[in-house]
Order: sequence, then structure tokens, then C-alpha cells
Amino acid sequence: MSPVPAAARKSILVVSRHAHPGSSLPRSALDTALAAAAFDQPVTLLFQGEGVLQLLPGQDSRAAGVRNLRKVIDSLPLYDIETLYVDAAAASALGLPPDALPEGAQWLDAAGVQALLARHDHVLGF
Amino acid sequence: MPLSYALLVLAGPASGHSSLTAARFARALLARGHHLQRVFFLDNGTLTGLASAVTPQDEQGALEQWVQLAAEHQTELILCISSALKRGLLDSTEATRHERPAATAHPAFELGGLGLLVEAAQTADRLVTFG
Amino acid sequence: MLLHTVSRSPAHTALRDCVALLGPDDALLLLGDGVYAALAGSEAAALLDASGVTVFILEADAALAGIQGRLLPGATVVDDDGFVALTERYSRQLAWY
Repeated sequence: MSPVPAAARKSILVVSRHAHPGSSLPRSALDTALAAAAFDQPVTLLFQGEGVLQLLPGQDSRAAGVRNLRKVIDSLPLYDIETLYVDAAAASALGLPPDALPEGAQWLDAAGVQALLARHDHVLGF
Repeated sequence: MPLSYALLVLAGPASGHSSLTAARFARALLARGHHLQRVFFLDNGTLTGLASAVTPQDEQGALEQWVQLAAEHQTELILCISSALKRGLLDSTEATRHERPAATAHPAFELGGLGLLVEAAQTADRLVTFG
Repeated sequence: MLLHTVSRSPAHTALRDCVALLGPDDALLLLGDGVYAALAGSEAAALLDASGVTVFILEADAALAGIQGRLLPGATVVDDDGFVALTERYSRQLAWY
């Protein structure tokens, strides 16, 4: 990939709206965010709708034989993805416990989500 | 002013007709004088590149639409390699590497990493997603 | 200025979530199963009406669904060329599905 000058960098917002494991989209959303970070592109993740269920702590994927999504989410700061946001209204509606919020993640109300959507160059809905 | 577009296709060809809609959108943007930099197929979208898909005679096949577009406009069609491999879509290199009998991806498509989507996001004026 | 595209039927949460998060200058394009939200007299159409958002509908999908003669008043039908024109005007897009 050819290097992009910092001034020309476009920010990417990845919006993850589906629950796992019924959909492979949550994994694709995380992979996309990780790829952006790997190429030093500014990327932000927003969990919205059913996507907030990806954050439930205590996921144990051993019996199911698939990857533990919460572990992947918890590893994001290691790959320089520091900005995670969670739609508070969706979390409340679906019963996500307040302590499910990953370290460094922030709740956003509707106005906060609107502001987030407004300030990124590209918005990718997964 | 002509714009540079990149498209992200996330839906498979057999679940709804989102991939067909994306192909029509691609034709329409080219007809309006814009540039189509790259089409990136991710997740179930990669199934669009399955070479052996057979479409009923009274329907339009997504595969045919994309292959025609690529032939006419040299459009770059990329299948996300990790999504593709999981779904059995291999080019000849990957078929050899993973000891599979044959390539299953249509040669109009190339397998590539998510870096190509990230690059397209950086350089394109518009990134339009079809889910 | 965001173009929201909704392609899930209004029975799913995509439409409601989208409407709840619309910005003041955003527009909405319904396509795929999302076009059913523009069926006049439906709860979804009332939701769209109340939101005040500018609604566009993809012609091919409205025709496919058989709702082209029963659309929410004020909704604008666009063809593929019109869809591209919307992405020219709205530089960013968010797909809800």
C-alpha cells in the first residue's frame, strides 16, 4: 500500500450493528478497524443496535469452537484502536449491564452518536 | 466534477439482490463520468465471485454483471482474502497453497487483504457500502 | 450531510435506529426490503413523516415490491442515476441493513 500523507488522511468510523455469533459481520467490522489501524489510518468504532451485545463480558467460546469476540475487542487498544463508543440507548434497551463497557470505551447518547457520525470522512455500516 | 468512488459489497448474491444493486450503481456512476477505483467484496459479499454460480435463465446473475463490468471498464474487483478462503473461494495460487483441487473464484476477481479497502477509503472521494 | 441507506424491512430495528440518529441535514434512501417503510399508511411511513427527513426510494426496488403506487406522500423516487446523484450531493453514506 502506498503511504498517504498525514494531512490527506481520512477518518473512518466503523459502525457495528449486528450481534454475534449469528452474523459474521461483527468479526468483519473488527477486522476492518484493525486493518485501518495497521495502516496508521484514524479509525473509530461504534457499537450500535444489537451490536452492543458483542460487549457482554464472560464470553466463553471454547465449547462453540469459534473465536471469542470480546477477547478480540479487549485487544483493540494493543493495535492502537483507542476510541470505542457504545450507543447507551441500545445498551439500555437490550439490558447490557453497565459493567460490560470495555476499558476506555465511552457511552454515547443520541446527540453524541449524531456528532460522531457527523465528524468522520467515511462511515462504514456493518 | 468527476469523483473517485470505491464500493464495499457485504451481501452475498443469493441473499437479496444487494450485489446486483451495487453493480447497477457502479454502471450508473461510470455513466455520470465518475471514476470507479475499486470494488471490495467482504464477508458474505465475497460469494459474488464464485465462478460456478448458475443463474436461472429469467434472472440476472450478480457474477455476470460484475464480470461484464470488469471486462468493459477494467474495474478492479477484490475479494477479501480471509472472507473468501473461509467460504471456499480460492484463486489458483490459494488452491495450490491449501491443496484444494481447483480455483473456485472467477478470474475477473482478485483476492486481496483488507489493506486494499483501507487504501480505497483513503484515496476515494466516495465510499458507498451495500449490505 | 449524511445519506442513510436502509435496506432492511421496517419490522427490523434498522429503520427505527436510523431515524433516531438522523442529523438535521441528513437524507434517507430506502432500497431493497427497506422500501416497505414508504408504504403509505404503515407505522414506518408515519415514523418517517414525523421525523421530517427527506425520503428517497430506489425505483427498481419500489417496483419490485409493488408499492410504487402506494408511496408515502412527499417521498421522491430515484433511479440508479438519481442514486449516484444523491451520493454526489451527500458526500458520506451509512448503510443500515
